Amino acid sequence: MAGVSYVKASRVYPGNPPVRAVDQLDLEVNDGEFLVLVGPSGSGKSTALRMLAGLEDVDEGAIHIGGNDVTHTPPKGRDIAMVFQSYALYPHMTVGENMGFALKLRRVPKETIKAKVAEAAKMLDLTPYLDRKPKALSGGQRQRVAMGRAIVREPAVFLMDEPLSNLDAKLRVETRANIAALQARLGTTTIYVTHDQVEAQTMGHRVAVLKDGLLQQCDTPRNLYERPANSFVAGFIGSPAMNLKTVALTSEGAVLDGLTVPLPRSVVAGHDAKTITFGVRPESLRLTGGDEVGMKLTVDLVEELGADAYVYGSVDIGGTAERFIVRTDGRTPPSIGSTVNVTLRDDNEVHLFHPESGARLETTKAPTA
Amino acid sequence: MVATTTGAAAEHRRPGPRGGTERRGRVRRFLDRYWYAYALVLPVVVVVGGLVILPLAQGVFFTFTNINEGNIANPVLGREADYDVVGLANYLNVLSGDPAYGSFWGVLLRTLVWSGICVAFHYGIGLGLALLLNRPMRFRTLYRILLILPWAVPAFVSAFAWRYLFNADYGLINWLLGSVGLPTPVWLGQSPVAMVAVIIVNVWLGVPFMMVALLGGLQSIPGDLYEAAEIDGATPWQRFTQITLPGLRPVSSTVILLGVIWTFNMFPVIYLITGQNPHTRILITYAFERFFSGATRDYAIASTYGVLILSVLLVFAGVYLRALRSQEAD
Repeated sequence: MAGVSYVKASRVYPGNPPVRAVDQLDLEVNDGEFLVLVGPSGSGKSTALRMLAGLEDVDEGAIHIGGNDVTHTPPKGRDIAMVFQSYALYPHMTVGENMGFALKLRRVPKETIKAKVAEAAKMLDLTPYLDRKPKALSGGQRQRVAMGRAIVREPAVFLMDEPLSNLDAKLRVETRANIAALQARLGTTTIYVTHDQVEAQTMGHRVAVLKDGLLQQCDTPRNLYERPANSFVAGFIGSPAMNLKTVALTSEGAVLDGLTVPLPRSVVAGHDAKTITFGVRPESLRLTGGDEVGMKLTVDLVEELGADAYVYGSVDIGGTAERFIVRTDGRTPPSIGSTVNVTLRDDNEVHLFHPESGARLETTKAPTA
Repeated sequence: MVATTTGAAAEHRRPGPRGGTERRGRVRRFLDRYWYAYALVLPVVVVVGGLVILPLAQGVFFTFTNINEGNIANPVLGREADYDVVGLANYLNVLSGDPAYGSFWGVLLRTLVWSGICVAFHYGIGLGLALLLNRPMRFRTLYRILLILPWAVPAFVSAFAWRYLFNADYGLINWLLGSVGLPTPVWLGQSPVAMVAVIIVNVWLGVPFMMVALLGGLQSIPGDLYEAAEIDGATPWQRFTQITLPGLRPVSSTVILLGVIWTFNMFPVIYLITGQNPHTRILITYAFERFFSGATRDYAIASTYGVLILSVLLVFAGVYLRALRSQEAD
């Protein structure tokens, strides 16, 4: 059991110009915490994990595990276990041998290995498969063997690099819950990399969002959702994505087609630009009758999900068609091609960002967590 | 008119026995469907049949006769063939180990030793070079090309080049050995040293193939297995024995089988470098000697050696493949 900290850790690939895959990452992971690193491809999330594993060099800064500086320690000295995206199971070994390999290398007595493997196999429902080779297993079973290999080691930290991306959608949701439950039970510090923000939000105690090697925000899933630190996080977290538009700013507020959203005085006063990036989540918009003030939305597409429907359409803002997504009641969705009137559920459910830097402009709404 | 013809044809077909019509129909459908496949395969069947199967059958037949230069049909002399079928006499003579019939068992032993040593060096050196070339470095492509070169040179060219290198008086090898004060043996003389020389040449010739094959095998081992092993705490040597060697097994087993077969029958290196030297005689070169030289060219005994070589290799390949399969089933 141990905490992990990145201290201004960077990975720089030589080249012209050099590529800063991970740039001055500062991150504290507490003992027993489940931290998810999330970001689009090329954001440096996997590199950050591999730096912690010792598979990538740390070019600047340092990494600590359990208070020890491991910046230049080889992987075997770091007391970590890793689950790979491809699972990286040893093809010529049985499931049992795969799981016990690390202990065998450490010259743990055979009986102890056998007992530990049996225990982990029981936990993961792998007992009937211990004598099989990986190629005789299904994708989900292989994934569990990879987990088992990590568990048997009883490491200080689990590292997981997109362990679910090779599973089909249904199994992924199931396994997601199993991994979270297992981690809660074992209480082992876990760093989990994914590009799927739903996985990140559902599994992590805290989620760190990366982009271009830079840490954007690290917070609880709820805070990420409700108070994204910048427009990138706002657009990345949440599905469907938040409606983010850069619109004109007048003394009355932000101008969206026929709708003018009054903005807090604190924001407008401190903001000298003529425009503002305005964000509103699909569930914060609603369809309304023609008599209310609103935006005229031409419906392009309706996704009916049963209880809800997502209406994709375009609104004419300052001469350009801007796409908006609105969540609405699944029983009475508008028809494609029709024009509907859209307004905000609550003027406070808006997110405001600086149009150039993208940084969040604080509204008066009190944080919930 | 047309109608009548069709009617007649239909009439003609109907009275025939039902089974016959059906069978003909099936054959017709089969040909309609697959004729081009057979057409494409036919040339190969003809060539292989003419160049491999027929001579092989003829060779096997000769082993049961006493055919030689004196009794074979000779159109130039206007002589009819008058060799006799002698049953198993050739096999009995050869397998008795009689020096008059080439001391079969001694030569077989030498052939096995020669094959074993050569393939062991081929594999060992090939694997070493493949491991070196599999890591990222400058000029890697250049090194790969240079190391493959011996393979691209025709065997007889290399053989003659090596003969000059091994020349006892003027060869580069003895000049080098002499200049550092080491003994300078007569490499290609009538002594076991000649065997060492041909082994050196054959190793030099055979390494590139092993290297290329093993390099391909190494590249097919996923890199994350090494990373997983590293995290599991494996030392570089353990990663080699636990990941690399098992990962290479499918490639290794194939190239070792091929290597043994090729080396067992490696005629040009031995014959071009040492000629007819009893110290480097292996089964295939003895079969050649028996066929093309001697007082009477003894085609029957040469064929017997040929069939025995084929049998040894068939047995070896069969046992080897079965052993592999049972290992894989574990």
